[in-house]
Amino acid sequence: MAQNVVEIVNLVKYYDGRCVLDGIDLKVPQGCIYGLLGRNGSGKTTIIRILLGLEPPTRGGTFLLGAGSAGLSAKIKGRIGYVAEGHNLIQNYKVGRLVTLCKALSHRWNDEFFNHLIETFRLPLDRKVKQLSIGMRAQLNLALAMAIDPELLILDDPTLGLDTVVRRQFLELAIDVIQKQGRTILFCSHILSDVERIADRIGILLAGKLVVDCPLEELKKRVRKLQVIFPDSVPDNLYITEIINQQSQGREMVITVANWNKQKQAIIETFKPSSCTELPMSLEDIFIECTKPSVELLAGQE
Amino acid sequence: MRTLLILLKREIEDHFVDFLVAVGVTALLIILAVSAAYRGEEGEIPVYSGVLSLPLIVLLIVGFSGIGGNQMYADRTRKTSAFLSTLPTTRGQILAAKIIMGVLAVLIVIVPLYVTAEVLWRRVMPAMPVHSGLVFNVFAVVFLMCFACYCLGLLIGRTSNRAILTLGSILLTFVLAPLIVVKGFGYQANIILVLFIGASLVRTWRKFMSTSL
Repeated sequence: MAQNVVEIVNLVKYYDGRCVLDGIDLKVPQGCIYGLLGRNGSGKTTIIRILLGLEPPTRGGTFLLGAGSAGLSAKIKGRIGYVAEGHNLIQNYKVGRLVTLCKALSHRWNDEFFNHLIETFRLPLDRKVKQLSIGMRAQLNLALAMAIDPELLILDDPTLGLDTVVRRQFLELAIDVIQKQGRTILFCSHILSDVERIADRIGILLAGKLVVDCPLEELKKRVRKLQVIFPDSVPDNLYITEIINQQSQGREMVITVANWNKQKQAIIETFKPSSCTELPMSLEDIFIECTKPSVELLAGQE
Repeated sequence: MRTLLILLKREIEDHFVDFLVAVGVTALLIILAVSAAYRGEEGEIPVYSGVLSLPLIVLLIVGFSGIGGNQMYADRTRKTSAFLSTLPTTRGQILAAKIIMGVLAVLIVIVPLYVTAEVLWRRVMPAMPVHSGLVFNVFAVVFLMCFACYCLGLLIGRTSNRAILTLGSILLTFVLAPLIVVKGFGYQANIILVLFIGASLVRTWRKFMSTSL
């Protein structure tokens, strides 16, 4: 069994009496690319900040590479690359000085790769960080995180504010990391097509709870959207549990069901529908369905 | 140790202007002290009165609490420590570098003043019957006082805004300046200042290690 690179146990966080995270349990095994999704304010950044020891939890434990987040040693941090939301670099430093500082503090620094990134991104070393555009700051942050050849790369909405070309460059870099054996990535993004492209496991946060935590393929199998046309009229009750969303019009009903299985299919068939067509769902569709209220269906199921 | 040195170098570079101002003020004080010493009659104590007067104490208190407060305030608003702590460093090392920088800043001011005072004392007033460690004792208290102000500045800068920072410095001035005047430059002042430094550092350390960055 692969070692868990990221582990969160019953994490609870309150801000000013408001519960932001409510008993989160999460494990990311080595080599996994985990996409953590959620709407604005759902607690994604808070989880990452707690994991990195930047924020104390109210209750519960978080572990990175086997060590507790509160006491991460410099050695452990040297194995973690982090791209922060908003790219909070030292704004009044020149790029060159920031690079020198990061290089001096790092335990391993791939000069060749870093210079390649700097050239690719055309980052000016003589300009102050605050004078760079958001896109350039994101590129710089990413280049700094990648230069240490991280075992664990944590990306908090890294493509926010980037144009399509730079976003594509970023994804290619992320894939470059993935191709190195045993590398793990935990990342949050609002651009779900990006997540769908590279993630192999998905977590969805809703109102401080992890309502989905399973492999991407399994999620796609488990959440089904069906267009069912009945011979006469839509029945009042389908007697199916775990319906995420349901819309009816005339004889037609479109339902989104979690944990789809043969029993549920058999129940549908007892109504002798004229047709039952499965509608394709992208990760974005699943996300939109799953982040509607009253969804607590998929967490922790394998 | 290597990490600590890198962080210390960063702190010094970041607060180079503070160091320059400290060096400038020290140089000015030395010039004033030397000129005052050579203008006075033999047997007078112009060095003592010129260099260690009450306005100087107030200047040192405000200056060092300002340096400490500004250092921590800028760190907090620019999220510098938040960034640094995601690199291969620990919070303890980041704070230790700040504290060492403070010690160095105080030493840059105090050591040249002490050497000047010692030299002037021996040359200008050789006949003055005082015990040999007087000048050292005076500067030991001044060193502790400056460092205490710096430590309190760190604490205030971590926890509050600029208004409270300014008020805190003024309040500290009103507490420490009379303390020095009343207790003098003896061991009692030293003990009080060491306790003050210890309390400030422990509180700053606990805040820095446990709050969000």
